[in-house]
Amino acid sequence: MNSSSAPSTPASAISRVQVGEQLPPFTRRTDFDNWNRYAAVNDEFLPHCMNDEAARSEGFPKAFGMGNLQWSYVHSLLRAFIGPDGAILRVDLQFRNPNLRSQVLTANGTVTAIAGDVLSVELWTQEDKGSRLALGTAVVRI
Amino acid sequence: MTETYLNDTVINAKGTPCSRSVSYPIEASAIRKWAIAVYWPEPAPEVFMYAEYAPEDFDPFAWGPASYESLLPGDDSGVVYRHGINERALGFPEWKFRAGLNGGMNCTYGVRMHVGDVITDVKSVGEYTERQGRNGLMLITQSISTWTNQRNELVKRTINTGICY
Amino acid sequence: MTVKVGDEIPTFTRETGFANWNRYAAVNDEFVPIHMDDAAGEAAGNGGAFGMGNLQWAYLHNMLRSWIGENGEILSIEVQFRSPNVKGQTVTAKGVVTAVDGDVISLDVWTEQQEGTKLAPGSAKVKMGK
Repeated sequence: MNSSSAPSTPASAISRVQVGEQLPPFTRRTDFDNWNRYAAVNDEFLPHCMNDEAARSEGFPKAFGMGNLQWSYVHSLLRAFIGPDGAILRVDLQFRNPNLRSQVLTANGTVTAIAGDVLSVELWTQEDKGSRLALGTAVVRI
Repeated sequence: MTETYLNDTVINAKGTPCSRSVSYPIEASAIRKWAIAVYWPEPAPEVFMYAEYAPEDFDPFAWGPASYESLLPGDDSGVVYRHGINERALGFPEWKFRAGLNGGMNCTYGVRMHVGDVITDVKSVGEYTERQGRNGLMLITQSISTWTNQRNELVKRTINTGICY
Repeated sequence: MTVKVGDEIPTFTRETGFANWNRYAAVNDEFVPIHMDDAAGEAAGNGGAFGMGNLQWAYLHNMLRSWIGENGEILSIEVQFRSPNVKGQTVTAKGVVTAVDGDVISLDVWTEQQEGTKLAPGSAKVKMGK
């Protein structure tokens, strides 16, 4: 199951952004297919991201994805929302639970404050059962 | 059992500049492949396929910098510490961990990266702390990366957190 | 260097596993489940994930290139993949000169794992660099 976020938010819709608004989510089913492609571009070939056995030796039930890819996913979420003329000003993300193989991961955001054209957003990623994997915040300009 | 990871050397290292890396000029194909990988299996936005600018999360230091210089006195190891800092050259204890995990990032952005830009990354030591967790005593590391482009404009400043146990 | 039939050329050796296979997949856009995932490799009857033949092909080329020098030429090479390169193997590319015809040298080339089992036998023709 995959869906990119909605097409870029047009300016007319941006003016209607409200506190509490949910950003269109960004979803990817995650496994070696995505992690190894990401490893390729980021030169991030970590044993626990490539091999169940290596992950188990570190106390995890199976291989898990790199936090940097979730970082990229939340950026994709924000970019789609703010449009090509927007700017991501700040992102803060903490990785709390591993993104295990075969999970469907969704990046989400909720607008928490609006100051002129600057929005504050609560961010998180969650797996298909709803457990939150990464938590954070962002500040963007639309 | 480890009582503490933190000694005066570790605590007082906060703020120490460790390294300066300079990237190769950013190439359109690198931007395109990055975008394909992070949007896979959906198509990436056209703006990245034609590399008008790079995604904010793009790393021009992947697959190695064009040059690397340690800023630590006496560090002539020649080892490139891409994701961190040379703890040995800082005089930190030689810890042995079962695992080292990415704890999170905190990033403030400046200008966008474009094709042809050359990025300089200066890494420095952040604040090291520790806490008890389900895997015992965990060392929480921080490194700070400050990126500027060839016009000395701020591209981004990132605080990277690591968790070791 | 005087080359004669029977000469064994310097070998090229790599311990293989996900670390190399995934890097090769990266540059060759070869993200195939049997090379990345033990379950897929088992389903294919190989006991687990195994390396791509293209990487062994590259290793054979590395071996030849190192021997013939910068100005040498690899004229032709053919290889058959007979046994899978499974995790934990140390793969060595080897070659033996089988004929010298002017400046064209024919070789038997192959890769084998650490116990000597051949993984990919083949042959090659090269010209030494001057």
